[in-house]
Amino acid sequence: MPTLGRILLVEDDPSDVELTLTALEDYKLANEVVVARDGQQALDYLRCQGEYKSRPRENPAVLLLDLKLPKVDGLEVLKEIRSDEQLKLIPVVVLTSSQEEKDMMRSYTLGVNAYVVKPVDFHEFINAVKELGVFWALINQPPPGSMKK
Amino acid sequence: MSQLNLEQRLAGSPILGYAFSIAAVAVALGLALILSTNGFKDAELPALTLAIAFVTWYAGRGPAALAVALSALAYNYFFTPPLYSLYVSVSEIPTYLIFVAWALIIAIFADVRRGAEHDLMQARDQLAAANKELESFAYSVSHDLRAPLRHSAGYAELLRRQASSVLDEKSLRYLDTIQASSKRMGTLIDDLLAFSRIGRAETNKTTVELDRLIEEVVTEQRRDAADRNIAWKIARLPACHGDRAMLRLVFVNLISNAVKYTRMRKPAEIEIGCRDGKRDGNVEIFVKDNGAGFDMQYQNKLFGVFQRLHLAEEFEGTGIGLATVQRIVQRHGGTVRAEGAVDRGATFTVSLPKA
Repeated sequence: MPTLGRILLVEDDPSDVELTLTALEDYKLANEVVVARDGQQALDYLRCQGEYKSRPRENPAVLLLDLKLPKVDGLEVLKEIRSDEQLKLIPVVVLTSSQEEKDMMRSYTLGVNAYVVKPVDFHEFINAVKELGVFWALINQPPPGSMKK
Repeated sequence: MSQLNLEQRLAGSPILGYAFSIAAVAVALGLALILSTNGFKDAELPALTLAIAFVTWYAGRGPAALAVALSALAYNYFFTPPLYSLYVSVSEIPTYLIFVAWALIIAIFADVRRGAEHDLMQARDQLAAANKELESFAYSVSHDLRAPLRHSAGYAELLRRQASSVLDEKSLRYLDTIQASSKRMGTLIDDLLAFSRIGRAETNKTTVELDRLIEEVVTEQRRDAADRNIAWKIARLPACHGDRAMLRLVFVNLISNAVKYTRMRKPAEIEIGCRDGKRDGNVEIFVKDNGAGFDMQYQNKLFGVFQRLHLAEEFEGTGIGLATVQRIVQRHGGTVRAEGAVDRGATFTVSLPKA
């Protein structure tokens, strides 16, 4: 049995959070998900500050990042992560509604590991999220220093 | 361009404007004096009025007034009896008035031109602002309209999972419809965004071998329609000048339409050929089929966004294909037209610049 990595889901929309968790539930991945509702909360979690002060200092196996977020948006979070010595190796997958070339270019320029457009069709959406979860939390070897179960 | 630069430079500095005024009158005066000593009389009036015109046109009112004054002075001093004195006789007054009137006329023309130029600039700025707004509009459409759609489709599916055992057939059909509609709306949004992107994207124009391009597209279409009986007739095609990816989209749309609308024909016939364009330097490529065709009285609707001449049950599609074709062809400075008759096939002809 491969070890499970923890997933940090950064998503402001409660419906999207629920649907994503439902998709991951099918593969028993949902327990491994930490949800951050905006960019600042995601950075607090990653840096073990604010409400996450007492959390053990380990990085998630993957970060599923929405681009349009309150306070600090996804691209800023990505930029912060990539310029932080402690965080820069974390695999980041952008999971967004935007198919705009501009967003893709900027995400890849900032060093994103994958860019996934959320499909409108629920089955496609569930499949996309499942595959992401399975690949990044189970198949992929995260960089050393990531937390495992 | 250099005109505009001269004008901008003069407008930028009043001293430069006045210097230009003095220089222009001095040159005109010098020219007139040289000509008159060489036996060419009466050059002073044309030379000075020309100087006044130049100054008024390029340097504005202050320098123009100075040019009129200097011209009057020079004329009086060098060209009216008694020579080399500033004595003003009544007979000279009409000449001075001509200087003034002339400057006024030119000033009016310059004002009209500047006004038009200003309006043009303003329109250009407004257009740029509108484009920018449109871009951010498309951007938020892409972001914000999709999410609620995904949710309604997603929760309908969750409801089905949760309650399918207690729902009757009718309720399940309602759920189907909710999901199908969400999906269709998603497709419409995607199509619309792709369409607006074509209008905004920069074109990367090169020489495009249409032979190769059409072969690629047809091979693809044949694969998708492997179960169909289609007689293809493809002529040799020339090269044209354009953006390859965009032109590919044009022919993908036209050829896949031909395949789609000949579905009930056995065999279907699709012909792709070319002829010289009516306009010089253009080539016309046509895609002809023996399919469902259309009524010529609706041909103006063919190229409209989301305009369709068939029901979705007869032929699937959103109605963005030909609008995309038209927009791309227009961005290449070409045209597209359609001929057809109900049940007797259609011919689409695009005209594109030659390589």
